[in-house]
Amino acid sequence: MPATAVLRSEWIKIKTLRGTVWSLAAVLLLTVGFSAFANGAFGEAESDNGDFDPLFSVFIGMSPGQIAAIAFGTLALSSEYVSGGIRASLAAVPRRGAFYAAKLANVAGLAFAIGLLTTFGSFFLSGALLGEKALSIGDDGALRACVGGAAYLALMAVFATGLTAVLRSGMAVLSILIPFILVVSFVIGTGAAGVADYLPDRAGQQIIYADPPASLNPWAGLAVTAAWAAAAALAGWWSLRRRDA
Amino acid sequence: MTAATAIEVRDLTKVYGKVRAVDSVTFTVEPGRVTGFLGPNGAGKSTTMRLVLGLDRPTSGTATIGGRPYATLTEPLRQVGALLDAGAAHGSRTARGHLAALAASNRIPDRRVAEVLEMTGIAKAADRRVKTFSLGMRQRLGIAAALLGDPPVLMLDEPSNGLDPEGIIWIRELLRQLAGEGRTVLVSSHLMGETAAFAEHLIVLGRGQVLADTPMKDFIASRVRPRVRVRTSEDERLRALLKEHGYDPVRSDDGRWHVDDAEVDAIGPLAARAGIPILELAAEEATLEQAYLDLTASATEFTAVPQEA
Repeated sequence: MPATAVLRSEWIKIKTLRGTVWSLAAVLLLTVGFSAFANGAFGEAESDNGDFDPLFSVFIGMSPGQIAAIAFGTLALSSEYVSGGIRASLAAVPRRGAFYAAKLANVAGLAFAIGLLTTFGSFFLSGALLGEKALSIGDDGALRACVGGAAYLALMAVFATGLTAVLRSGMAVLSILIPFILVVSFVIGTGAAGVADYLPDRAGQQIIYADPPASLNPWAGLAVTAAWAAAAALAGWWSLRRRDA
Repeated sequence: MTAATAIEVRDLTKVYGKVRAVDSVTFTVEPGRVTGFLGPNGAGKSTTMRLVLGLDRPTSGTATIGGRPYATLTEPLRQVGALLDAGAAHGSRTARGHLAALAASNRIPDRRVAEVLEMTGIAKAADRRVKTFSLGMRQRLGIAAALLGDPPVLMLDEPSNGLDPEGIIWIRELLRQLAGEGRTVLVSSHLMGETAAFAEHLIVLGRGQVLADTPMKDFIASRVRPRVRVRTSEDERLRALLKEHGYDPVRSDDGRWHVDDAEVDAIGPLAARAGIPILELAAEEATLEQAYLDLTASATEFTAVPQEA
């Protein structure tokens, strides 16, 4: 069974489901929209603060945007567990590794592609609204933040897909990850620096700062997020391979 | 030597906790005929089918199609079509989208999607979301998915579930047609009457074990006992006469006699020669359904005993 056929099948599954299409669109709309609003309304005032970061400022919308990326990664697989679709899928592609790899490749590839539109869109639109403090794409770290930010979104989506393969329920995954990112990571992050730098979301977000606040440098931070995503994907593979469908 | 498209199940066992859902099951499903896979709910039919498809892992034993485990088939939809639990389609997808995704994975051309939608009578609803479908339409969508790869082997779990009478006739004819084309067709059901309408061969499962594996006509010949219903004005003489000839008549409340293992052709002349007036005489064949229930009774008796969870 050629890998391209399975990849195409998984692509059709994503594009024929409103939930996956909209969550992917929401990554772009939420991030660019929120960033544009924040920078347009408060950018100039904020830019006088001492801890103002001209890169993080234009990517501020990635906070809600990453939730959409997580929802996308979750829905891409949890939709298989609704009404027993996984059985039809695995009957069509009985090599579970091929099925799972194609699923992950679609999630990662689409999230990265939309992520690039999102980060570059945010950078230029919010930059224009921010005014004179905004960096240009040639400045130090700007290109790194755009490409790395897209990779961060893709990794968070893969992280969610892996967890979904373990828990086999979209509701379970979202009710763990969303509060974790909105509350737990935030609270731990402000309290206990050091350990919190290695949480999946905080580590990777170093890539969108001009001057990263954590002890990790931007690429090391992204590598930590990649390790979390890989661990979740492997745990998911272990679960999918062993369990009855 | 078995056919290249036979489904072969050997010593297949699946244990869930303490329950042996499938218990040392062995059978072969041959091509060219419809094989009915019969058993009460919970007998292990669906589990056996999932094991054959490699969806569940057997505790022990093997299941192969044309000698190969399902998981090793290349583009399996072109070899085996399966219907499991009402189509297994996501409610938010359209019927066409669901089939297109399955077709793509096995490099089945898109035009085949349109064909099977047409064949199963849901072409008009192809672009509606599956959640708006009735159970019968979902069942047709599941059958459409099974037919996608034009496979020589078909395994359908309760295909007539939810179909209206017209749909039941349609599925019956479809099954016979598919078998007539030389395909291997395994169809599960918990209803004997329905299965008898299309199956030439019968595999009966009860509590995870094979209770019968026999041609349908042999099953009928060996298990359906003839029975006669007779009414007379001289009860005592008739009873004595029948007893004398080795029958065991039983009088029912409405005054009729029921004679097991008897034929009208024998009872009528017998009474006539003895000069006993007969008011009513009719063959009352114990139904096929009854024969099936008798067979599975011992298997279901145990399940009626309250069990601790």
